[in-house]
Amino acid sequence: MHIPDGFIPIAQCLVYYVILIVALYFSVRWAKSNLDEKRIPLLAVLAAGIFAIMSMNMPIPFGTSGHMVGGALVAIIFLAPEAAVLVFTVVLLIQALIFGDGGITALGANVLNMAIIGGFVGLFTFKGLNGIIGKYPAAGVAAWLATVIAAFACAVEMGIAGTFPMNIGIPSMVLYHFFIGIIEAVLTVIVLVALDKFRPDLLAWNRGDA
Amino acid sequence: MEQKDLYLIGVAVLICIVICALSPYIASGDPDGLEKSAEDSGIPEDFSIEEINGIPDAIFPDYAFASAPDNQPLQIVALVLGTILTLIVGYGVAHVVRNRN
Repeated sequence: MHIPDGFIPIAQCLVYYVILIVALYFSVRWAKSNLDEKRIPLLAVLAAGIFAIMSMNMPIPFGTSGHMVGGALVAIIFLAPEAAVLVFTVVLLIQALIFGDGGITALGANVLNMAIIGGFVGLFTFKGLNGIIGKYPAAGVAAWLATVIAAFACAVEMGIAGTFPMNIGIPSMVLYHFFIGIIEAVLTVIVLVALDKFRPDLLAWNRGDA
Repeated sequence: MEQKDLYLIGVAVLICIVICALSPYIASGDPDGLEKSAEDSGIPEDFSIEEINGIPDAIFPDYAFASAPDNQPLQIVALVLGTILTLIVGYGVAHVVRNRN
């Protein structure tokens, strides 16, 4: 769901950049009190892993494809959407500047959808369901919902931009991301299971932060 | 850095390299959800809502070498370089903003 340059008028891009700057302010503040030395390598490998997995588009119905995003994953690992904002600002900036994937002007909107909305929806869905259906099912549903809600938000932004109307954009984006969200859910749970098995010390839910 | 953190980075980089080596061959070339939604609403592929100037050309457009966009081994190189760059920048950013107490 990388929005390219040209899909959002510059004036609106500036609004999303203001949101990005505010989000970065809170994320740096979070990091200064919560991101201990031990979890620096974790944040770095999540950024690298998300960069790599985004190249792996998988087929979904309707002649469409999609890849994992990872906003919910990062937010659940750190139990903080702020971590997702830091990771995605790095990943999306590199993708936009060097690989022409996602617009440079649309960076603010892309961080908003994938990290802020994806991270918040992912984390709070996870927290809401964790005690009811268990952590892995909760993480799967959270990742799926994060993808669908982020896609919905993207369609609304496209409507506000005037690029494509919401009556077509919202049903299309939600339908495709209903399926892309399943990819997101499966891979999110796999990474969480692997981390819990091999590096449980890195998961915030094992540190009493939950 | 502790041994187990080096191990984490090593395993992660290895997994990333496998993904990067496979992507140019097995990733779906179909439009993604946003591109397909744009198609559904009938807007042209090179659509732009307003003239935007001054966007620098990407060094590796679409994760490929600009001189050989369909060369798959070079796409692997571009992806691996991007992964390593992201790892380094991610580490650097995390190091700068970390809790220093």
